[in-house]
Amino acid sequence: MEKLAMNKPSMGKNSAQHKQAFDEPLWWGLFSAGGVCFAVFLPAVILFIAVLLPLGLLPAEVLSYERASALLFSVPGFLFVGAVVCLPLFHAAHRLRHGMFDISVGNDALNKKLMYGGAALVSIVALGLVVAGMLG
Amino acid sequence: MDKSSSQRLPPLKRNWWLKHRFFKLYMLREATVLPLVFFTLCLLAGMVALLQGAESWQGWIAFMGSPIVLVLNLLALAASLFHAATFFVLFPRVMPLRIAGHSLPDQAIVAGQWAGVVAVALLFFWLFGRA
Repeated sequence: MEKLAMNKPSMGKNSAQHKQAFDEPLWWGLFSAGGVCFAVFLPAVILFIAVLLPLGLLPAEVLSYERASALLFSVPGFLFVGAVVCLPLFHAAHRLRHGMFDISVGNDALNKKLMYGGAALVSIVALGLVVAGMLG
Repeated sequence: MDKSSSQRLPPLKRNWWLKHRFFKLYMLREATVLPLVFFTLCLLAGMVALLQGAESWQGWIAFMGSPIVLVLNLLALAASLFHAATFFVLFPRVMPLRIAGHSLPDQAIVAGQWAGVVAVALLFFWLFGRA
């Protein structure tokens, strides 16, 4: 991505330490996958769940306790959480990490652990909630 | 690789990005993830509520309807659309598509992705638009 070349000159090959960044492709891959999910799925998800539902603009009972449980605590629900919570979280973690670097907040080695670690932790909790609902 | 850039680059001031429209838009795009994280945490709370029972679920819907939460989530909706508009134009640049020797015009790839957004919205309408 051009952003990499443009904004991160410190990652160039003439790095003093010659440390190989084996993990960066993983973070950029998760960033891209999460970016696609954020762009394609999130507008509809936010519109229906966070705007129309609380405003009472959806027909009654479409997201009743029973129907919402049946939809979420299922294999499609598990995939939904992966696409709508987990991947966008890694996208967000990546942008927050680079954004903090851009405005010189904190130290990147620590930010990296905090951001990706946080995304991983919340992802595991979210997927765990679905599994708990399927078992319970 | 850790970005200990101080060895090679003069440190930038924190407001460097305020000096040009391009960089302001760049920072705005970076900031689209803030309301996204808020929405994600709301969703997580909803999942916990759903696990707890019918009463908690109704309580969560009421929480989602409180004015501040609603405004922040409307901001998240706008952020997701702004992010989509900036992300979709990257696709043809990162991965140009060629069909039968002819490269697909950039606008066609961007339009295809917007069609994806509409398709997902229609799927949601099919799922939740009727009782």
